[in-house]
Amino acid sequence: MDAYLLSQYVLSGLVIGLIYSLMALGITFIYGIMKMINWSMGEFYMVGSYVQYALLATFLGWELWWVALPLSMVSVFLLGVVVQRFLLRPMYVGGIERRDEYATIITIALMVLFRNLAIVVGGPNQFAPRDYARATTLLTLPISGNRMVALVSTVLLLLLFYVLTRKTWLGRAFRGAAQNRVGIQTAGVDVLRLDMLAFGVGVALAAAAGALLAPDFLVYPENGAISTFKGFEIIVIGGLGSLMGSVVGGLLLGLIEALGSVFLSPAYKDLYGFVLLLALLAFRPTGLFGERERTV
Amino acid sequence: MLNALRTFSLAAVAAAALATPAFAQAPVKIGVLTPLSPPGDATAGQFIVRGAKMAADEINGQGGVLGGRKIELVVEDDAGTPEKGVAGLRKLASQDRVVAVVGQFHSSVTEAVQTLAEQLKVPVFLTQASAKSLTEKHLTYTFRTHVIDPDRVTLWNKWIMQQGFKRVAILAENTDYGVGLIEETKKQFASMNVKAELKTIIFDRAVVDLTPQLLEIKNWKPDLFINVGIGTPMYLISKQAFDVGLTPATPMLISYDAPSRPEYWKNLGEKGTYATFIVYYHPTMKLTPRGEAFRTRYLEQFKEQPVYGGLNAYAQVMLLADAINAAKSDKPDDIVKALLSTKFTGWNGTITFTRGEGPYWQQWTPPMLFLQYTKENQPFTEAKIIYPPELKTGDLMMAPKR
Repeated sequence: MDAYLLSQYVLSGLVIGLIYSLMALGITFIYGIMKMINWSMGEFYMVGSYVQYALLATFLGWELWWVALPLSMVSVFLLGVVVQRFLLRPMYVGGIERRDEYATIITIALMVLFRNLAIVVGGPNQFAPRDYARATTLLTLPISGNRMVALVSTVLLLLLFYVLTRKTWLGRAFRGAAQNRVGIQTAGVDVLRLDMLAFGVGVALAAAAGALLAPDFLVYPENGAISTFKGFEIIVIGGLGSLMGSVVGGLLLGLIEALGSVFLSPAYKDLYGFVLLLALLAFRPTGLFGERERTV
Repeated sequence: MLNALRTFSLAAVAAAALATPAFAQAPVKIGVLTPLSPPGDATAGQFIVRGAKMAADEINGQGGVLGGRKIELVVEDDAGTPEKGVAGLRKLASQDRVVAVVGQFHSSVTEAVQTLAEQLKVPVFLTQASAKSLTEKHLTYTFRTHVIDPDRVTLWNKWIMQQGFKRVAILAENTDYGVGLIEETKKQFASMNVKAELKTIIFDRAVVDLTPQLLEIKNWKPDLFINVGIGTPMYLISKQAFDVGLTPATPMLISYDAPSRPEYWKNLGEKGTYATFIVYYHPTMKLTPRGEAFRTRYLEQFKEQPVYGGLNAYAQVMLLADAINAAKSDKPDDIVKALLSTKFTGWNGTITFTRGEGPYWQQWTPPMLFLQYTKENQPFTEAKIIYPPELKTGDLMMAPKR
């Protein structure tokens, strides 16, 4: 095996794995706080990419992608807050017994709704923002400027997220809610408001991935499907509810796909992650960093 | 007395209904079953609908068919998926009662649709579905006015030999179209004695990151790279091949006419430069009076050059109207008989449907040309024809080093 090609594959896998970990982080964060799976995560990714494209194509111009990125995240954050307030909150205040089923039905319905809205608003065609930066080289890997920007931005967002959850009062409240929703209420925290913020932050992370990858992976109504799929793979590998698991799971998935491509065939790249996933489910069902849930 | 009055009133209403032109002149319905949403190539579908609508307007403007009946189009979205294609055809045939269906674009969809069309006895026209197997089955209700893949492969193999390419790599999607093209190329490399090495990779159409596949191809050092993606995958391959440095240094041949669409440059920018692509229509082509009239009206209406999908759908609806008139009937079986026994005017020549051997069954083939863009944002009208030799207006231009 050519070491040069091997290094290219590994780098390519690690880069895309880390970017996909943003999606996984969003899914696992929402799950951690609200104890629900958001199946429409890919559609928030898609909305993020559309908002980014619309801002650049109409108001800001192609050079100001770095202004559009936080605006896209804020827009999707607000959308998430509205969705949580009016569609998901009843799950926690009403007498709904089967919350999991309720959340599944609502988020799958949202998935269908957003995809169709995208077709109605933007048409069925694909769009592409202009490149954020010129193509470059990362060690041995020729890489698009967009993916380089996405990589750096992902690292910054992960750091920001770490600071938010570890160093701020809000972060402590999030961690408290993740540990015990009832307990945190005894400390005077409005857990329903916290849910709203958590859902908004989680989907804003998906929107960031969508906006960052828009020039490379295009903007179209179904562009969130693969990233959601990868996001779920990553959280099963890393462990549901674990923030560290999202990052390590993303890197590991990228690495496995790269090694499979080198030593077997790149044609089946997406299969290798599933082999890892099945192996983990067999030997460590909670994932690498997940813990068994305790019920009292 | 009341009963007599009621009976008289009902009889009068029935007589009036039968006598009105609206009842006597019920429209003849033609279905357009084509991709209008992802994962299908929705842009292609929109051009097909445009062409079909223009044909219906033209026919209706000239008095309709069968002595005054209007043509009514019923458009259904197959979304590029077999299950939606089958559901669409079932609705068109049983609910809308269409007499024929045009607009089929994805071969995988047509594969499912044509089986049902045989059961429902509805003629189906393939507008841009090119898999060989579709007409090779010798079905009664399947008609095609588009190229077939063996012819496409024969042409690119001849081009490969003429250019003297020694290492050819193909990246193809996992559809009937993509897999069929790879198999056909392997077969014809042997039968045509093409003196070049061939590397083929098939990818899942849903995948968006093709970097590993493209890195492997780049490191194999091909001197021709063939992009067999349809719709979004074609753009993803083109973009990412440029990003890993495979293109434009290595010439890229796009397997169909998507670069002729206005969206091409919007989506690719400089990454689309130096691409070579296969088309079936070029604005400098001499057309039949029917084709020329369509081109003029299209330019007036949409302020852009027509693309092949629109032209072909237009011609299919026009020839269906001719067949209905020739058959003096709107019954599908009569239309099939007329289709097989009549000569029709297409957009660039006369169309006949014969029952030839192999895939040449109820098949009419348009011309194929290889074009190349040599600068960014180059209009389709200015793209050079680089193959076949008898029509070429320039040679393949290699990209300068980046």
